[in-house]
Amino acid sequence: MAADKLSTRHLLGIKDINRNDIELIFETADNFKEVINRPIKKVPSLRDITIANIFFENSTRTKLSFELAEKRLSADVVNFAASSSSVSKGETLIDTVNNILSMKVDMVVMRHPYAGAGQFLSRHVKAQIVNAGDGAHEHPTQALLDAFSIRQKLGDVAGKKVVIVGDILHSRVAISNILCLQRLGAEVMVCGPTTLIPKHIHQLGVKVEHNLLKALNWCDVANMLRIQLERQDIKYFPSLREYAMMYGLNKQILDNLDKEIVVMHPGPINRGVEITSDVADSKQSIILEQVENGVAVRMAVLYLLASQG
Amino acid sequence: MNLLVKRATITDPQSKFNTKLCDVRVVDGKIQAIGNLSAEKDEHVFDAKGALLTPGFFDLNCAAGDPGYETKEDIQTLTAAAAAGGFTGLALLPQTSPVVQSKSQVEYIINRAKNNLVDVYPVGALSQNREAKELAELFDMQSAGAVAFSDGDKAIQDDGFMSRALQYAKGLDALIMVYPENKSIAGKSQINESKNSVLLGMKGLPALAEEMHIARDIFLATYNETKIHISNISTAGAVALIRKAKKYGVQITCDVTAHHLVFTEDLLVDFDSNYKVKPPLRSKNDVKALIAGLKDGTIDAIISQHRPEEVEFKNVEFEIAHYGIIALQTVLPLLLKAGLDTSLIAEKLAINPRKLLNLTVPVIEEGQEANFTVYDPNEKWVYNAASNFSKSANSPLIGRELTGKVTLVFNNNQYRAS
Repeated sequence: MAADKLSTRHLLGIKDINRNDIELIFETADNFKEVINRPIKKVPSLRDITIANIFFENSTRTKLSFELAEKRLSADVVNFAASSSSVSKGETLIDTVNNILSMKVDMVVMRHPYAGAGQFLSRHVKAQIVNAGDGAHEHPTQALLDAFSIRQKLGDVAGKKVVIVGDILHSRVAISNILCLQRLGAEVMVCGPTTLIPKHIHQLGVKVEHNLLKALNWCDVANMLRIQLERQDIKYFPSLREYAMMYGLNKQILDNLDKEIVVMHPGPINRGVEITSDVADSKQSIILEQVENGVAVRMAVLYLLASQG
Repeated sequence: MNLLVKRATITDPQSKFNTKLCDVRVVDGKIQAIGNLSAEKDEHVFDAKGALLTPGFFDLNCAAGDPGYETKEDIQTLTAAAAAGGFTGLALLPQTSPVVQSKSQVEYIINRAKNNLVDVYPVGALSQNREAKELAELFDMQSAGAVAFSDGDKAIQDDGFMSRALQYAKGLDALIMVYPENKSIAGKSQINESKNSVLLGMKGLPALAEEMHIARDIFLATYNETKIHISNISTAGAVALIRKAKKYGVQITCDVTAHHLVFTEDLLVDFDSNYKVKPPLRSKNDVKALIAGLKDGTIDAIISQHRPEEVEFKNVEFEIAHYGIIALQTVLPLLLKAGLDTSLIAEKLAINPRKLLNLTVPVIEEGQEANFTVYDPNEKWVYNAASNFSKSANSPLIGRELTGKVTLVFNNNQYRAS
């Protein structure tokens, strides 16, 4: 049984939480998962809490997932979508958020294009901050729901081998996943084109592999990241076609492996690039479970943070 | 005006009084006597209480905002901060608006700083508007008083332009100071490339970007048989390259900032933009190599790299925060913290910078112009809003207790005691 309180007031990154925190979040998420499968999917836990979802970057599923989590906990929810260009219009991040907080908001869920924006904000505003993705830095709730989904599928995360495939350089999911899986005792490998693997990543204690087949033969779980063309300021590989040829996962590769591996994807999928449709829809894929678990894990995070005020 | 400085430990490797505890009498801006002296009638007396008396510090690399960005810093606040930090001379970079690139702009700076305790020497822009396309009028600026030429923190990417600039400056015996960074390698990175940059989710700026650029400049200086000065080197590889070039007789000189001798990239974990500097803070290993480079003569000088910025440009998300810190008042405490001995500080912070610019070097001897700084290397003080003389406050050391305090500066027949 894990402790009953998180060791942190904000959730800015996996970097700031420990294994106990993660296990507490998982146990709490187990309960909420049961709740959201009831006919009445709502609990009154956060009835007095107002949460602002502030998204400085486009997001569909993360925002929807947070919003559902908040509503199922009976929180009051306000949404604020601003393009990152509002910064250039003159209003600073602190001003924007303080404006919203002056309407008596207790918690802020923020996505922002710059690394460290959550840390920065947490030093300047009173509300609790949940990082929903900051630049290519961290995306802690995604990492938590990914690990939670592995735990659900394979019974445990400890001792499992997980390969993260794709654009590691521009991915906030990769860093949070590496840290989260390592804290839970999994072995982690990254795989992708050499130009998209940061030079010093091996110092985090992960294996580095550039051959997809070798990586897949090694792993129990393959987490296929989305190619984020919108984050690439210059060309890191010749074409999507060539990327798919080298790092795309298709049914034929999957069927020829020695063992049955679990396939994950944080979404949204570029079908035919990272994975083909038949892989995405296969029984080895847990992509939709990830989405379902996302709501339960986010409910757990919000609930636990709110309980320490 | 007469001033008697009692009980000062002379710290000047050029002086026969070096390391001796003496009294120093200044009359009409000149050192009249050094020895065991008694106060005369109507003489101001300053008791140094054994503190060190060293040639006035000189900064090769600072920026203000005058003209154009006076809300960051003007010449008056710049020189006030300089004097408080022990500096009696500054070379002021041309990163102003408009850029200092003509005789009249050079004269403007000189006039603004007239009759000041601190000597302010303008550095003219090397290229028009610091765009590295057309040369600025170097001869005209030099005739008006510019002591060197530089595009400041803009690294010159065009190899052909750099070569021609060196050739042209050679004819004027002018020093060109350059910022070393290959931009096509650096890309959009803002922090050192390492495990740290991976964890912070930001692109890393590899040492390679600095070192390739320095290697290019070594080739260009060699080919053109002329001198070149590399500003703010930050990597172990850069030290090694320059050490080797010097050994082969290349006329290359360089400097390092005080903060790169103490701070490392580990300080960036909280995304504190007050640690966002250019070049980025590097590793412990780099710091070690930089200190070794100072000691063996590879690195000629230490700079403040004073870069005032308003709070609006610093108290924002790290990735959009401006680079730089205010540094004039914290150079000395940082050098002491880095463990440099006081004689080396005199050499790198007072003597060599002036030699590089062909300026008169103050010597603590009788009959010499009185241009000196007195500091107590053990005295503690707090750097805060009350003790900060700059208009800006972008320093990670604000609010901290520092060790090493300047108690007196004397130059141009003026002094400031604290």
